[in-house]
Amino acid sequence: MESGLSRLQKLGETMTMHGTQMVLALLVLIVGLLLAKWIDKGLRKGLRRMVPTSTLIPVFCNTVYIILAAIVVSAAAIEFGAKPINILRLLTIISLVSVGLIIFFRPFMPTMPFKVKDTVKAGNLLGKVEAMTFLNTRMRTFDGKTFFVPNRQILNDIVINYQYSGTRRIKVDVSIRYDQDLLKAKRVLEAIMTEEARVKTKPGPMVYVLNLASSAVDLGGRCWVDNKDYWVARCDLLEKTKLRFDSEGIQFAFPQLDLHINHDRSRAGGSGRPTPGGLMGVSAREASDEENI
Amino acid sequence: MKIVDGLKLIENGWIRKPKGFRVRFHKQTEAGVEAGLSPPPEAAPLNSDVTAWRYAWKLWQATSAAAKTGEPGALYNITVVDDQDIPFRFYGSGEFETYNPKHIHDGSGTTTGDSDEA
Repeated sequence: MESGLSRLQKLGETMTMHGTQMVLALLVLIVGLLLAKWIDKGLRKGLRRMVPTSTLIPVFCNTVYIILAAIVVSAAAIEFGAKPINILRLLTIISLVSVGLIIFFRPFMPTMPFKVKDTVKAGNLLGKVEAMTFLNTRMRTFDGKTFFVPNRQILNDIVINYQYSGTRRIKVDVSIRYDQDLLKAKRVLEAIMTEEARVKTKPGPMVYVLNLASSAVDLGGRCWVDNKDYWVARCDLLEKTKLRFDSEGIQFAFPQLDLHINHDRSRAGGSGRPTPGGLMGVSAREASDEENI
Repeated sequence: MKIVDGLKLIENGWIRKPKGFRVRFHKQTEAGVEAGLSPPPEAAPLNSDVTAWRYAWKLWQATSAAAKTGEPGALYNITVVDDQDIPFRFYGSGEFETYNPKHIHDGSGTTTGDSDEA
């Protein structure tokens, strides 16, 4: 009982001696931290307005906030009675230990295979990376949905970063009918890609005959554009290809099936109906007699 | 001739690749008719002729009524030009096209706007 009373007495004495300092220090700490937060918010807003594309804004603002917070804590400690030189020593030790830890553990920290504002495909998600934290990555898909994907899941999955390299290849694949002028079609397709302003000259556009398919000759146009232009340039090239082929009189192929009906009743079992299986069992001479529709 | 030289020759002489596109027009003002470009020469050009032609078409649609009455703000001879201010063929037809065509004396003894509209 007595020891409890003496403790309370000691506390009272301490409060009488240092109470004002403690309250002032607490006030400096609270007001200082609020002010630092306010400056941080204003700085972020201002920088985003000035340089909206910069990805270094969060790093810069976080650094400024840490420095401001350190100054506030030091000021509060000094107000409480700590010696400035001791505070300086303490801050130096903390910063040196932090830097040392970061350098030591850096090789063991997994890094994400993309940066903020990159367009990536992670798992089934295709979208733009908006932010990254230690725990998750915020992605915005092109239909406007925001996903918070755990970093662990991203690191365990295949990630396609569409902006890792500066350029990207466009495929313009078309199929023309067998009776069309193949060389003309190749020339026209190459000209469409060559005269497109966004298409790179090196490597230049190329057109290949990809396949002699069952009802079409498949042509493959290949050209390179800047990553940022990929989608619109691809759509524009497809539109131009359709229109130019139409104006040049080159006809696209479409899936078709020639159906041959055998009207010869005697060979078709006397029923007068088409033979099941078409021409499967009919000789070449017989086939030439049949009507082709 | 080395392959590299041949490729350079083809690049320079076969098909000229424009660096950008602008919509050129004549605008009716209170004082008369003045020529203009959109985007203006000091701004970056459009990087797609498809976009430029679509933009030109929309300008035509927006000003066709004013062009009939000749009120200020009307746009005539709307067409797409490349980075060298040379008219660029419409990719849909392969022809040079001009929307709201009108003969305008430009002071140099020539007139413009004698092509048909799309």
